[in-house]
Amino acid sequence: MLPRGALLGNWRQWEASQMARFILKRLLISIPIMIGITIIIFVLLNVVPGDPVALMMKEHISVDVVARVRAQMHLDDPAFIRYFRFLFGALRGDLGESYKLQRPVAALILGAFPTTFVLALWAALFAWIVGIPAGILSAVKKYSLPDNLFMGFSLMGVSMPIFWSALLFQWCFAVKLGWLPVAGFSSWKYVIMPAVVLGWSSAGTIARLTRSSLLEVMRNDYIRTARAKGLRELPVIFKHALKNSLLPVVTVMAIQVAGLLSGAILTESVFGIPGVGRIAVNAIQARDMPLLQGTVLFETLLVVLGNLTADILYAFLDPRIKVN
Amino acid sequence: MKSWMTRCRIHARKGWASILVSLAAVALGACSMLATAAEKVLTIAYNEEPKTSDMQMNTSDYMIPFNVYDRLIECVTTGPAKSALVPGLATKWEISKDGKVYTLHLRKGAKFHNGEEVTAQDVVYTFDRMLDPATKALNTDALDFIAGAQDRMAGKAQTTAGLKALDKYTVQITLENAFVPFLAILAAPQCSIMSEKFTRPLGNKYGLTADTTCGSGPFIMKEWTLNDHHTLVANPNYWRGRPQIDKLVIRIITDSETMRMLFESGEIDIFDCDFAISQIPYFTSSPKWGKQVLSGPRAGIYYYTFNQKIKPFDDVRVRKAFQMAVDRKLILDKLYYGQGQLENGIAPTGLIHYNPNQTKIPYDPDQAKKLLAQAGYPNGVDMEIALVSSTGSQWQKMSEVIQQMVQKSGFRVTLKQMDEAAFYATRKEGKLPMYTNVWSADYNDPDNFFYTFFGPKGTVARSYNNIDQANFDLLEKGRAETNFAKRAKLYNDLEKKIVIDQAAWLPMFSAKHLYVVQPRVKKFVIPWNGWSDLPFYEARVD
Repeated sequence: MLPRGALLGNWRQWEASQMARFILKRLLISIPIMIGITIIIFVLLNVVPGDPVALMMKEHISVDVVARVRAQMHLDDPAFIRYFRFLFGALRGDLGESYKLQRPVAALILGAFPTTFVLALWAALFAWIVGIPAGILSAVKKYSLPDNLFMGFSLMGVSMPIFWSALLFQWCFAVKLGWLPVAGFSSWKYVIMPAVVLGWSSAGTIARLTRSSLLEVMRNDYIRTARAKGLRELPVIFKHALKNSLLPVVTVMAIQVAGLLSGAILTESVFGIPGVGRIAVNAIQARDMPLLQGTVLFETLLVVLGNLTADILYAFLDPRIKVN
Repeated sequence: MKSWMTRCRIHARKGWASILVSLAAVALGACSMLATAAEKVLTIAYNEEPKTSDMQMNTSDYMIPFNVYDRLIECVTTGPAKSALVPGLATKWEISKDGKVYTLHLRKGAKFHNGEEVTAQDVVYTFDRMLDPATKALNTDALDFIAGAQDRMAGKAQTTAGLKALDKYTVQITLENAFVPFLAILAAPQCSIMSEKFTRPLGNKYGLTADTTCGSGPFIMKEWTLNDHHTLVANPNYWRGRPQIDKLVIRIITDSETMRMLFESGEIDIFDCDFAISQIPYFTSSPKWGKQVLSGPRAGIYYYTFNQKIKPFDDVRVRKAFQMAVDRKLILDKLYYGQGQLENGIAPTGLIHYNPNQTKIPYDPDQAKKLLAQAGYPNGVDMEIALVSSTGSQWQKMSEVIQQMVQKSGFRVTLKQMDEAAFYATRKEGKLPMYTNVWSADYNDPDNFFYTFFGPKGTVARSYNNIDQANFDLLEKGRAETNFAKRAKLYNDLEKKIVIDQAAWLPMFSAKHLYVVQPRVKKFVIPWNGWSDLPFYEARVD
């Protein structure tokens, strides 16, 4: 008979290998998803009429020049050849060159990503720091004035369009009060407003979810038992109830971060932030196929990784949930 | 000191660890971007990323060439809607009697930003590069009339036959045919001169960053963060003398509301009302900003087109009826706040050979209805106006007003929203229904308007389809006519024929260009052609 420690070690080893298999499986599944998305984008852009060279020339259009440059850019090649050229390039890490910006797509995305990353992280931090305590307080003091205030705040965050809240913040804190710069991304001062605007919506969702989840957990028998044993309210909430109630919240948080990282198009446009969202706007406006394919592929990858992270966190947070 | 953003980008290449560094930089980076108090910085906003500083690859964003590059000849603003061609990198020039050979003498001692002297070989290289098919240049139209250009563009020749460096400071350019607007074209931003030694090794990587940009102009490109800003610094060795401002910062702001707030909070020095026409009443009526509004006429014209291959505009009577059905003054007064003047021709105010006495297009909805009935549409007719869905609401508003306005004459208008790529692709096929746009002069010559819109290729590519060989012959004649008075008459007569007799387009008005400038900005000159792209060499800031 094996000693207890050895049994436990084998069990953990088995669990780790199961986790590794789970992650690998999820990553492999994501490959056809990403290929499928590139096909959809490619087909859509080829079905709708439009010519990127004509668009580049706009008012100075010349039929001769358009024809010559199209041939030089291989835009007259059959669609499937262009698609497979893109796909094989992508497999080698080469996402092609942007028609409009005339730079390698991978370099454009990676160049803009640190900016988006910084913005997304500060927005997420704001959402978590504000959303979770607000949710807890609302649940603990349900139907009280603070509860109504926090839920009103979160409802505004969820329902107010970002472009509108962004303009209000700019007008109030930059133009009228002069505390913060209107737009740009040159120092820490420039991060505050866009991070709050972007994080507000996420904070609202997190606060409402935390509140409802915590209220549901607080009704469980084990919470009643803990109280009956004479535990004070704070340990009951933070030690027993909160951990279980955060499970759905963590899932949403992970997906939110993936969404934020894939480029906050409106926030970046209104605040003039040179992130991935602006690159995506450039691509859509210019019918820039390589750039659009590249940004979509990148964003899909982030969403897939965000979901995967949520699943893994689930397994870590709740021992009852196993990867198999 | 490198800016925070530049550092952020460098770190990014080094991977995830560096992202944390850049994050820390945000938290601690209050000390970055410090500018010395004495530095005279002019900050402006531009609504689109220029993408490249290679002017052979850019057909619309001219802020960089006007400030970073020079041309052989410069077109300077001498007054409201007035301009003159003055020596630039060329100090003088001679034109052969047949009008085909141009000999230009270069300024000695003018230097590129890399320290190399500007020579005749650089000029030959620049123009040949534009025509070289390997460049994939978008602006070949500016030079494709040089002798041998067609062969060069087709890859049949390794050089352009009509370009020669006679010696270090003398360039000879031979044209296929006499072409009067050539000097004016040489002053266009597309003809900015590049350094061969700097540009050739970079190939198609030229002009994508500050490090790969080199002109000979008053400002040196120092920093370029894509979709964020460009920083240009004064060129201390500029041949006209160092600019008065130390730094020109061009911020890329796509949102017009944000741009206005940046201006009001003092973060930018000049607000270009072309980026937000709806803000005009706010600024003109504001006690704070009213006196800071500057306006000037523009050599540009707003217009509606008629596609003669699409019914009902294949009939001249219908085209005339539509011209009469539109109350252009009302639109100018209400949508453009009266800031401009009606136009009745093709050449707008400020352009050479502009004819202020052109026959006027009347507003007469009843007569329009009669004409429509005569054309076989007594019960009215259906028609479409194409609009680009992503462009400003001003175009939409104007077309909606016209939609209502022409209804009483019998035109039932459908506004057709189109994606911009589809709009231009359909237009170049000659299949776009009526649309509206504005055209401002690239160079001061009627050829820039007449030939562009009514030349044999342009009339199809712009969906007019006004196919008239007599017009084409006159346009060719106008290009070669050296007698000023004869040339003026030719264009004035042709204008009357195209606009009044053939009713081939509907000229609307030339709207003034309005800017609001901070009080600290001095010597701000509104360009003669009304562009948003302008040189800042003369500008001062307190």
